[in-house]
Amino acid sequence: MTAQLLQILLSLGEVALMVGLCFVLFGRAPAPAAEAFDARLAADVPGFRAGRRAVSGDGRSILVEDARDGAVYLAVARGDGVVTRKLSRATRISRDGERLVLDLRDFTLKRAELTLADASDWEARLKGLAA
Amino acid sequence: MKPFDPVALATPAFAVLVIAEMVFVRFTGRGRFEVKDTAASLMMGLGSVIIGALFAFLFVGFAKLIMPFAPFHIGWSWWAVVLCFVLDDLRYYWWHRASHRVRWLWADHVNHHSSQHYNLSTALRQPWGGVLALPGLLFLAPLVLLGFPLEMIAFVHGINLVYQFWIHTESIGRFPRWFEALMNTPSHHRVHHATNARYLDANYAGVFIVWDRMFATFVAETGEDPPRYGIIGQIASFNPLRIALHGWVSLANDVIHAKNLREAAFYLFAPPGWSPDGSRETSDSIKARWADVPAE
Repeated sequence: MTAQLLQILLSLGEVALMVGLCFVLFGRAPAPAAEAFDARLAADVPGFRAGRRAVSGDGRSILVEDARDGAVYLAVARGDGVVTRKLSRATRISRDGERLVLDLRDFTLKRAELTLADASDWEARLKGLAA
Repeated sequence: MKPFDPVALATPAFAVLVIAEMVFVRFTGRGRFEVKDTAASLMMGLGSVIIGALFAFLFVGFAKLIMPFAPFHIGWSWWAVVLCFVLDDLRYYWWHRASHRVRWLWADHVNHHSSQHYNLSTALRQPWGGVLALPGLLFLAPLVLLGFPLEMIAFVHGINLVYQFWIHTESIGRFPRWFEALMNTPSHHRVHHATNARYLDANYAGVFIVWDRMFATFVAETGEDPPRYGIIGQIASFNPLRIALHGWVSLANDVIHAKNLREAAFYLFAPPGWSPDGSRETSDSIKARWADVPAE
């Protein structure tokens, strides 16, 4: 048992070294460029045509409408990649000034917070989805 | 005869090769690494080894349970090892195909596909399902019933897994045509990990790509459509526990909310993305839509 524990600890040390080396070589992931959000949406939603959009103050999340059908998508930066979710009536929306909070009930993306100059407009738009 | 464990023997080489690929990618740009993604993959690999060791008794127990039904017993010899290796690779093909087409198995296997990157660390991003992925054990039965010793099956499967490590890379382009025709290669396996519609549900092979050619699941990589890695509905977490559980949580949620037993059974055994009202996307529906949309 002691030998197995020692083996696990050594393996953890090995993982830590490799992650450290990865950090030294590649550094922190930069926020994806604006085109990366569009590219991911185009890949995830065949035929997607970007309509109205809003970029969060930190540049790491956007809300964007599909001009074809009015569906609204959230795209958030994760590491150097982008993850998208179609917002639906299951999304809970709350707002505090310019801060819009989306409760997505998603196991790997529970909440998203966006700081938007037109947060109240988007709140109304998203609550309209739920109606 | 008690053979060595190929995976245990190869583990130090895995670490060295991951480091070598990082350095290569840093200086050539042929590939991508991201710190959090790499950390998640490596931790998934470590967790998988621990869970695998804890649940190894299931593999042994199941094999011993059905072993008496084998009509004859094959001893250790070079031809038996070669035959067992080839048949185990065929077994791997069908297990792997089922793992993409049956939601219960996909709930576990999805973890291996959950990275948006494709490098040697992705090879180590392995599931933690253990006891939850029990139906996968059924694929072991034919080899045991053919009379191959359990140690031989474990040995050749270990070699199979070791082979599959090095094909998880963007740093290698293509091999000579004869090799690409026979063996699973980085190019073929990039297709397998891609989410592009044309590449979905393709190239399930472990070692020999001939199985995909034989069973009509082979798709060649094309420079016109570079692979985009990950899964349909990318995950948004680098937490190994969330990665390991997300497929199971999603499946459990659907089964619990099923309206009747038939619906629950479809959630468990139909392809990933199946829903009673057809409102979700399966790989078949994505491919059908892609085939209908002319390329721009």
